[in-house]
Amino acid sequence: MSAGGPGGEAHGGVAPGKMIVFGLLGGLICIYAAHFLAMVNPVFSFIGALGAVCAIVWGADAVRRVCSYGLGTGVPSIGMIALGMGVIASLFGLAVGGLAGPIVAVIAAAIIGLVIGILANKVLGMNIPIMEKTMVEIGVAGALTIVGLSTTMAGTFMFAEVLELVVAPGYIAVIFIAGGMGILHPFNACLGPDEEQDRTLAVAFEKGGIAMVIAGIVSMVISTAAAIPSIVIGLLIWYISFAKFYELTKRDAYKVLGTGLLPTEEELQ
Amino acid sequence: MEPLISMGVLALMGAAATVAGASEDLESDVGSQSNPNSQVQLAPQMMYPHRIYNKAISGEPPSNALMCAVGGTTATVLMSAYNMSPVFAIAMGALIAALVHGTYSVTAFLGRPTSQKRFKQPVYLDILWSHTPVIMGYSYITTFCILVISYLMVSVLGHPFPLPLIAFIWGITIGAIGSSTGDVHYGAEREFQSVEFGAGLNAANSGNIVRKGESGLRNGFDNSWFCAKFGGPVTGIAFGMVVFLSGWVTTVFDPAKGIAIGWLSVIAGVILVLIMILWNRKIEVAARAAYGPYKEDEVAA
Repeated sequence: MSAGGPGGEAHGGVAPGKMIVFGLLGGLICIYAAHFLAMVNPVFSFIGALGAVCAIVWGADAVRRVCSYGLGTGVPSIGMIALGMGVIASLFGLAVGGLAGPIVAVIAAAIIGLVIGILANKVLGMNIPIMEKTMVEIGVAGALTIVGLSTTMAGTFMFAEVLELVVAPGYIAVIFIAGGMGILHPFNACLGPDEEQDRTLAVAFEKGGIAMVIAGIVSMVISTAAAIPSIVIGLLIWYISFAKFYELTKRDAYKVLGTGLLPTEEELQ
Repeated sequence: MEPLISMGVLALMGAAATVAGASEDLESDVGSQSNPNSQVQLAPQMMYPHRIYNKAISGEPPSNALMCAVGGTTATVLMSAYNMSPVFAIAMGALIAALVHGTYSVTAFLGRPTSQKRFKQPVYLDILWSHTPVIMGYSYITTFCILVISYLMVSVLGHPFPLPLIAFIWGITIGAIGSSTGDVHYGAEREFQSVEFGAGLNAANSGNIVRKGESGLRNGFDNSWFCAKFGGPVTGIAFGMVVFLSGWVTTVFDPAKGIAIGWLSVIAGVILVLIMILWNRKIEVAARAAYGPYKEDEVAA
């Protein structure tokens, strides 16, 4: 029996098209802004992580849409595959693309996502109507998350620096798992028949804030001045979105009790 | 390196791994994570509301990988950028990891019951306030021990991988071992204490977890008290053995000394695995014979 209910199309909230614009354009604009402004002053490298936050929120929404079709225990797997696609696409894109690296990464991730979506539907026979589309979205969101966080950590998205400052010291591992959990955890945490998009996305912003703080901690290797804005803004995003999440929890829950006994038989009828 | 020093380091790693394994399992039991959580999640749908912490952070491997990767990253940054002592850096890394894990726990605890509004599962804030610090405490111990293992591997044994990556891999490993070893004790033994041992989970019992404790209503503390008697320690021994034995074969038969000795280490590893398989089989058969009931027709069905 699925804990997430019978499964079906996700309902309500902000339309998928707006989320795509938010994640894709927001992610790319922030990554390029971070790259060029960080050349002027490394302090601006935090903007890359803002792009990653946009991508994480978009990815979490795409996970929500595809997993609403009854993928209860498949939610963590989707998050992991997002970053799996993202790592391959982003390293490929940055390695061959130069200044166009993030865009090449997006295209590569979209192609990988499409292939995996087709395989899932046609070969594995999952028959989820939006599988191909959402796998493309999830793959691109994963790639942008990796490029965004790497840009904040290294202060640039040029491949040589990313390789030296992010991949070789092993920080790519924390990007992989913090980004992947940022994309999969919001819907996983809010899974259930009475899930609401705004509450799920509040968690996505909150997890994005945590990823930003971690990217900030790593950017201490370059300079403390570059780290402070990332950590402070990340904590701010975390606090605001957590407060919003708690407010929405109080709105949506059956009851939020300080303490108490279990509901009675009569109450449950 | 002197073989004696290598063995000493290995023993220290094994000890840290044993502590980490036990704390990892108890951490997942307090919060009811991983496989057994599906029944905690299902209970309200089957008209069994409860006061058990519902910590759905993916499976244990990804959540432990996150903790350990965050801890390893922070420790490495503190050591490389500010030349801090490894002990302080590892302690700080584990602290940040515990804080991050705490936020993941809180969002899962608040999120899932709220999304079960129609089944009338309340969100009990006293459970949140009392259990979350314990979860963070256990996650601190786990991360600290994993970072000690990873640091020893990198700095003393000269492993070529960087510390955050090794911590990440050990995080996945400890989560997988905690999930496969300790969960059985919590899920089958504790949640379904009311059914006969070895009876399996009948579909009619789905969600019908034990909700009343030795005193009052059962919560995550009661479960961790129970699991600390067997499930936690046995997970610790399992993980300690994985760390110790996997290192032991290459310490005794060091592949760096020649290809023949390298092959000897592979053979030693295979022999160890075979001994484990046979030993496990004997334990399983003995347990079924001693504690049954184990009915042939139910297996066939």
